[in-house]
Amino acid sequence: MEAVVTVVTFRDIFQYEAEKKSRYSEDYRKLSAQIILDKQDMAGLGVKDSQNVLVKNDVGSIVVAVKTSEDDPHPGLAFMVNSPWSNQLVSDDVCTASIPGFKRISAQISPSGENVTQISELFQKMRGQGA
Amino acid sequence: MVVCTGCSLLCEDIELALATGAISQVKNLCRKGHGHFQALFTERTMPKIDGQEVSVDQAIKKAADILRNAKHPLLYGWSNSTLEAQRVGIDLARKLGATIDDTMSFCRGILMERVLTGKLPTCTLDDVRNFADTSIFWGSDPSNSHPRHLSRFAYYPRGEKRQKSYEEERTCIVVDVRKSATAKLCSNYFRVPPGGDADFIASVIAVLDGKIPKYGDKKRMIELGTILRKTEYGAISPGLGLVSSIQDRIELLETLVAKLNEITTFKVVPMVEHYNTRGFNQLLLNDTGYLNSVSFHSGQVTHGPENSVIAAAKGCDAALVIGSDPLSSLPFGTAKCLARVPLIAIDPRRSLTTDAAKVVIPSAMYGLEAGGSAIRMDGVKIEFEPIVKSDLLSDEQILKRLKEEI
Repeated sequence: MEAVVTVVTFRDIFQYEAEKKSRYSEDYRKLSAQIILDKQDMAGLGVKDSQNVLVKNDVGSIVVAVKTSEDDPHPGLAFMVNSPWSNQLVSDDVCTASIPGFKRISAQISPSGENVTQISELFQKMRGQGA
Repeated sequence: MVVCTGCSLLCEDIELALATGAISQVKNLCRKGHGHFQALFTERTMPKIDGQEVSVDQAIKKAADILRNAKHPLLYGWSNSTLEAQRVGIDLARKLGATIDDTMSFCRGILMERVLTGKLPTCTLDDVRNFADTSIFWGSDPSNSHPRHLSRFAYYPRGEKRQKSYEEERTCIVVDVRKSATAKLCSNYFRVPPGGDADFIASVIAVLDGKIPKYGDKKRMIELGTILRKTEYGAISPGLGLVSSIQDRIELLETLVAKLNEITTFKVVPMVEHYNTRGFNQLLLNDTGYLNSVSFHSGQVTHGPENSVIAAAKGCDAALVIGSDPLSSLPFGTAKCLARVPLIAIDPRRSLTTDAAKVVIPSAMYGLEAGGSAIRMDGVKIEFEPIVKSDLLSDEQILKRLKEEI
């Protein structure tokens, strides 16, 4: 099962606070490596709250946990807190205004049995040491 | 009283007592500010070359060698440095023939340029507190990004002309893709789909012209038009959500603001994230005529998207990053480019960028361990003193040492 969604990133004060304690902490990872999905999309994917999903596009891929949206219905639209995880999916091919697509990332989502991506794995990828 | 450098509101009313390893007492600090101050005690950097601890002198000397030998150095960051440090940084860029850029070039820079050059009318946050009866947070969520914006300025305070405040005299409007924490607080929330802001602007202009809007819930859009028409003094606080939606069509916002000002008074105060982003933009604009993305290569000042960090990272052969963590905050491709060149990181705290850096130079935390001055998001200059004694060098001192070495 796979769904195509538009991921919009946003700021979260609790994630900011966790980062200020340690960017390498479990708290920071939990608050960053999650995707907020609409209930209809979750049903279509057959996933429940806290289950892991693979989010991928032409730029990169990550495994993150699902969080059920408490907002009004927004099928096809997903939300992630801005972080090194969401930035794995953001293209550096910018438009004329030089603004990358942090707020409109097209991605495919599917259920995953893998563990949530660790920050150390993201770091290795940046340095060309990972998959 | 202490000034909080946790965001660009630069709150000046913080009362704080520090004990060993923690904040012992605090008053007026928001959650974000508390995190910022608490960071004084965690994940501090040490001077390093290739991951090995060295003296600060050795780290500075090595950094100077790297920059001196680079043909296309990039100097990036600056939003978390004081005006004094930024001045030295711009001089250093000129001396090196380097490209210099900040964190605004890939987000709200296009908007800030319109404000700093007078193309969009602006005001201070004190004006907002004293006079504004309508505040619009458009693609911004101050409850998470600038937590005291609503309580100090836009919604809750009893200003000079707004003694009855949010109970009777102030209206807060949120336009956003998602129902943010701020949207939940305000009774007037308008949801737009990603990229839908241009159509929303067109509809607002239509209702202001007395026409039927083509986009959105017609009844609600007409109600919005009524609120805007009745406004005596309005303030629009646009964030990245709006800018990234309309991209290079920023003239749409200019048209709307001009239309609103035919009817009443409306000002624009961009929601700048870091505490002295606006300071850097103002300094570089005064110096070169451009607020960011400037190259001093071959002794000439050039400006353009090719000098933005996103593009310059691809062609630079060394980078100095100050007070920023681009490996966390920039697109993966840009982070990858930066991680593969000799990187110099000047930062008080550990980050992905300091972990990837060839040279790490620890710096004092501004507002806590070092003083200086900065420009608040609305253009007001704020000065601050250190509250903790520290042997660490400030950004300004490090940059001066680098300049001397080079």
